[in-house]
Amino acid sequence: MTTTWHADTALLTRYASGELDQARAYSLEAHLLACDTCRAGVAAVSDHAQLDRMWAEVAEAVDAPRTGVVERGLVRLGVSDHVARLLAATPSLRLSWLGAEALALGFAVVAANSAITERGRSLGTFLFLVVAALLPVGGVAAAYGPGLDPTYEVSLASPMRSFGLLMTRAAAVLGTSTVLAGVAALSLPGMGWTTVAWLLPSLGLTLASLALATRVRPLVAAGSVTFAWAAVSVILAHASHDRFEIFRGGGQAAFLVIIALSTIVIARRREAFEQGVRE
Amino acid sequence: MPTVQVIGIEKSFLRTRALAGVTFDAGAGITGLLGPNGAGKTTLLRMMATVLAPDAGQLRLLGWDPGKADERLAIRRRLGYMPQEPGFHRNFTAFEFVDYVAILKEMVDRRARHDEVRRVLELVGLEGVAGRKIKALSGGMRRRVALGQALLGDPDLLVLDEPTAGLDPEQRLRFREIVSERSADRTVILSTHQTEDVAALCPRVVVMNDGRTLFDGTPAELTDVARGRVWLAPERAPEAHLSWRTGDGRHRNIGTAPSGADVIEPTVEDGYLLLVGSKAFDEEAA
Repeated sequence: MTTTWHADTALLTRYASGELDQARAYSLEAHLLACDTCRAGVAAVSDHAQLDRMWAEVAEAVDAPRTGVVERGLVRLGVSDHVARLLAATPSLRLSWLGAEALALGFAVVAANSAITERGRSLGTFLFLVVAALLPVGGVAAAYGPGLDPTYEVSLASPMRSFGLLMTRAAAVLGTSTVLAGVAALSLPGMGWTTVAWLLPSLGLTLASLALATRVRPLVAAGSVTFAWAAVSVILAHASHDRFEIFRGGGQAAFLVIIALSTIVIARRREAFEQGVRE
Repeated sequence: MPTVQVIGIEKSFLRTRALAGVTFDAGAGITGLLGPNGAGKTTLLRMMATVLAPDAGQLRLLGWDPGKADERLAIRRRLGYMPQEPGFHRNFTAFEFVDYVAILKEMVDRRARHDEVRRVLELVGLEGVAGRKIKALSGGMRRRVALGQALLGDPDLLVLDEPTAGLDPEQRLRFREIVSERSADRTVILSTHQTEDVAALCPRVVVMNDGRTLFDGTPAELTDVARGRVWLAPERAPEAHLSWRTGDGRHRNIGTAPSGADVIEPTVEDGYLLLVGSKAFDEEAA
């Protein structure tokens, strides 16, 4: 096909820089399809660095792998793509783990609601509070560390600070556990103070476990805290005339102290998370 | 100028002594750690990867002390590590997994990171299965994924623990090609109990056994350990420390050759077997 006219350099420059109005740009593009001379003219006045950048963006958009459901959801919530990837690799944020947590809470809620006597409902509610407080302890221990994170040693050998990675994942685990327990608590018999009584113990036990993990392996720390919590709460429930003693004012105050002390220990000993496997 | 200095390193796990005063140094190029299972190779490599601290001794990597926080971070910024048993998030695709490690290596810019992930996947020949889940890959492919993540960012110090285990001969050749291309001005430390890897790849070899260094030299020098001490005979010779029947029906004997023996040219494996004795021989035969 031959053409009888050619666009001048000024027109081609305005087109290449995107300054031409839409109607004239369409008209010129139709002409460019048929005219080698003008196509060469556009190439000569185009910013090649900008074209390379645009091409790379197109290639990335077409070529980038499709991410999983969890990651896409996190990105939609405003989480940056690299943090979403770090969270998607958290063992205790998998659906199977969250399902197990929901099941544990479900049992406690059913126990509290299906009891015939007041004593039975009280025992079920107590069980729920003990379990809800413990949920994030296991989740945080499994979030990052030797044993449960399959890429722990590769992560440790990388420049990303383990403390930062652990805290990011711990916050996500604490958040999901809190939402699960919060929703389950709405189903407890009677909407009293017990609905939120597990919150401070939950945070306190999690931070105590993290503080202990600066000295021993995270799973050992979580196991020790779980055992201590179960023992203390059950012993106190039996020893006191009030089963919920540990969840009332004195207990909540004790957990505030535990939270403060644990935070100090974690902050002072955070370098322990970077040092490597304790064997 | 050595980039890796190992001086009198000791390490025990409960009552088991894994390293009993290992000393050697390494510079640019490939250094092979050769030894039977339980020799302490993995323990030493984990220290070089900054994930395990020694009980005693000194370790310097790229001129820095991994025991100091800021220097350890500087090492980690220039380190690539492939563990002996690399773990994976099995629901990730090969691309997602390597991308995950790239994030851990502080590559935050998405496009530049993805370009780097594609580069290393192509290097290890996995560009065709980048979108396949790790759990659907063969053992050899997974090891190549593990090698790919170690190559991210073209590290100055590459620590590879048994990188050729589970690879078929073609993949092993490809591995040698990849690593040798990168070894001119970088330090590569790899452990193996495959003497052919050492002979083919490493200008320098350190033989370890029972947590100690038995030999430190070139593969040719390791071969020389067995020079004049390998001979063929119709049957197992009483003078042989080690002996096995070869394909042609004759016995290859290693030890103090009797006079008049049909002494043959030794190999790196002969030198290695003579050094580590029957323990390594049992494992090679297994």
